[in-house]
Amino acid sequence: MSCRASCFTLTGVTVDYGRGPALDGIDLRIEPGEAVAFVGPSGAGKTSLLKVLTGSVRPSGGTVAINGRELHTLSASALRETRACLGFVHQDLALVPNVRVIKNVLAGRLGRLSFPASVWTMLFPPRKLVMQAHEILERVGIGEKLYERTDRLSGGQQQRVAVARALFQQPGALLADEPVSSVDPARARDLIKLLKTVSRERTLTLCASLHDVGLAREFFPRLVGLRRGAVAFDCPPDQLKQRAFDELYDLETHEMLVDAG
Amino acid sequence: MPGKPRARTWVLLSIAAAGIWAALRLDLDPRTILPNEGGAQVAREFFSRALSPALTYESAVPVPGASPLLVKALGAAHRTLIFAGAAVSLALCIGLPLGFLSSTIWWESDPAGAESRSMRFLRRKVAPLVCGASRTLATVMRSIHELLWAVMFLAALGASNLTAVIAITIPFAGTFAKVFSELLDEAPRDSAAALRAGGASPVQVIVFGVLPRAHSDMTAYAFYRFECALRSSAILGFFGYPTLGYYIAASFENLHYGEVWTYLYALFLLIAAADGWSGSFRRSFAA
Amino acid sequence: MNPMERELQVRRLRRVRPRRRFVRLSGWALGLLTVYCWFAGNFRVDILGERRLRNLSRFLGELVPYPLRDRFDLRTAVDWAASLLSERGLEAAGTTLAIAVAAICLAGLVALILSLPAARNITSPEAFLTDPRPPRRRVRAAWTAAVYLTRVLLIFLRSIPEYVWAFLLISMIGPSAWPAVLALAIHNAGILGKLGGEVVENLDGRSLSALRGLGASRRQIALAAIYPVALSRFLLFLFYRWETCVREATVLGMLGIVSLGYWIQDARARNQYDTMIFLVAIGVVIVLVGDLVSAIARRVVRES
Repeated sequence: MSCRASCFTLTGVTVDYGRGPALDGIDLRIEPGEAVAFVGPSGAGKTSLLKVLTGSVRPSGGTVAINGRELHTLSASALRETRACLGFVHQDLALVPNVRVIKNVLAGRLGRLSFPASVWTMLFPPRKLVMQAHEILERVGIGEKLYERTDRLSGGQQQRVAVARALFQQPGALLADEPVSSVDPARARDLIKLLKTVSRERTLTLCASLHDVGLAREFFPRLVGLRRGAVAFDCPPDQLKQRAFDELYDLETHEMLVDAG
Repeated sequence: MPGKPRARTWVLLSIAAAGIWAALRLDLDPRTILPNEGGAQVAREFFSRALSPALTYESAVPVPGASPLLVKALGAAHRTLIFAGAAVSLALCIGLPLGFLSSTIWWESDPAGAESRSMRFLRRKVAPLVCGASRTLATVMRSIHELLWAVMFLAALGASNLTAVIAITIPFAGTFAKVFSELLDEAPRDSAAALRAGGASPVQVIVFGVLPRAHSDMTAYAFYRFECALRSSAILGFFGYPTLGYYIAASFENLHYGEVWTYLYALFLLIAAADGWSGSFRRSFAA
Repeated sequence: MNPMERELQVRRLRRVRPRRRFVRLSGWALGLLTVYCWFAGNFRVDILGERRLRNLSRFLGELVPYPLRDRFDLRTAVDWAASLLSERGLEAAGTTLAIAVAAICLAGLVALILSLPAARNITSPEAFLTDPRPPRRRVRAAWTAAVYLTRVLLIFLRSIPEYVWAFLLISMIGPSAWPAVLALAIHNAGILGKLGGEVVENLDGRSLSALRGLGASRRQIALAAIYPVALSRFLLFLFYRWETCVREATVLGMLGIVSLGYWIQDARARNQYDTMIFLVAIGVVIVLVGDLVSAIARRVVRES
């Protein structure tokens, strides 16, 4: 079962965790195969936006539609099918630390298997799946770590395992939450380049949240700036006015000073 | 840090106060520890054999056809082990599902998709009742000591090896349930959330996302409980079951103190071996 | 990489993968041990044979309180319960709790003292090194022996069940409360001493060496650096063991010390199963009370 590249449509999405809106009236449309970067200071709502896109968080207002189907009116099983086509790379990686890398990668495709099949697959992985997992791990640069214990790997390597898990899903979209926040600058560029190349190879929609606007500008053809839960700008990097960029970050600093004073 | 330990100081003071109350309530006078010459004599004789346990029978009249003392001790230890092993395995089979029901992970999370009304009713009203009932059952099970269960089973069903094992199983299953439910509730949920985002079913999320985070702690606890089961199994001997406790009691009543120490050392070695294995297992598990 | 090469590569990776041999062997050993236990135990399932079932139904019938057997009446039930409580229930419950408290206090004191020699970072020649020369082999061996001796003693103390200690001590001391208190104290001193030793061993070595560098004596270091940090964790263990002491104190009565267990055994011997089950229920109540107190105390210690 293959997934086609996902198309996201957000209409008036509001997310409120109880301490004020994390997202406030977002209207956004992401075409299949696009590569979008979400930028903005911390707390702007980038993570919440990504979580809304995968259906992990239910918006308190507005609708989220993936490939034309509104997410939260789907039945539980239809929602699971949809989410199986969305590969999410968490900021904290969210891997199981004390198992081998291959098990973490195989876990990506659990959504496609029935429970008995999944138990069998995880205990006695079929050769074909192991080959596929190795291929993906090789693609992200850690092929030889296939059977290592996940917590023995370095932070950057674990980051790649998380990406591999998402890719193993054979998704229609790849959503990455701060994929390079804990990686050094040289590796960061490699990782972003990798995400972009893989998404292009497999025709995936790519959405990544980044706090380094320079990286975003360099690699992504579309930037969406978020400030306090709302879209501040949505344009290609060459059209990004310096003023808009400054406002995004400066205003935060100014407000911080006002609050402190 | 002068102000910080104040609450703890109160705790220490309360412990001291409680200790004094207890000593007064029980009339604990250190002088009464060895009240009479007879008791002191027994104590002297008994403890003098501590470093010289008997290697053969001590009775004046040899019993014909009895196996050598060390073989008997080995047999008693063997039976102690069997009761304990059977009890812990059965307790795990009961305690793990019960612990799962007593935890909140199987019903508390908010479903992402649309939910039918009957499912919502089940989740909001029925599930907490089931969880609460499991917890209560586990609590009652573990509040009654295995010896009390053994005594009640003796009265209800008469003596049998199986009832001895069940008597140990019940409180152990109760503690497994409690510890397991706590481990499940406190396990980090990030991997579970990640699997959920990838479309896994709730069962898959629990089995592959939550369980692996809790299973090493659970294994360590199970080993510890096995050690406790060895002790409980030994004590059942005092009630007539053929474990080490029976022989300890018999030899002591016949005043064969050397034999008593033989059996005590047998028990000590059994538990020390279990403890050593448990420690090595934990260390290589974490490595 | 073509599929053939990949297959070879994966096979090679699988061959050299890190394996925890001991864990796997232990797992198999446990499985075999379990199967063996069930087969070798001679467990006959005839506990549900006819004779036993008759016994069981008679037993269940006798669980109902005697004055209520013909007719259920709330007032009679309350009277019966109240008389049992006032006669022996409350007194025995108090005795049980007192035994548990006294035992854990004593165990705690002994364990605090024993946990220092059991800790390798304290009981070693380097720990309080004022003499810069490396210690002689004999000296080092002596210190290591001290640690191991303490540990073996602690293991012995805790491997003998409390019930056995109490049984032995009653013959020497007589049926006062001391055998129960000492039995529980000895056993728990073993456990708390080991846990205390581990807590001390896991302490931050830097503060210790800092004090050592200032020339502090062993006792001064113990008072200033070790006890405060270790104390909180030790207290948590102490309360956790107290819960077990309450359960054991209930049962030790069956040896003749006047706690709840004594009356339970007494009721069983007289075939007064209704009294027996009522006293067991009282036992459950004090265990629950004990668990509650312990939970509150532990929360206070954790947050302080």
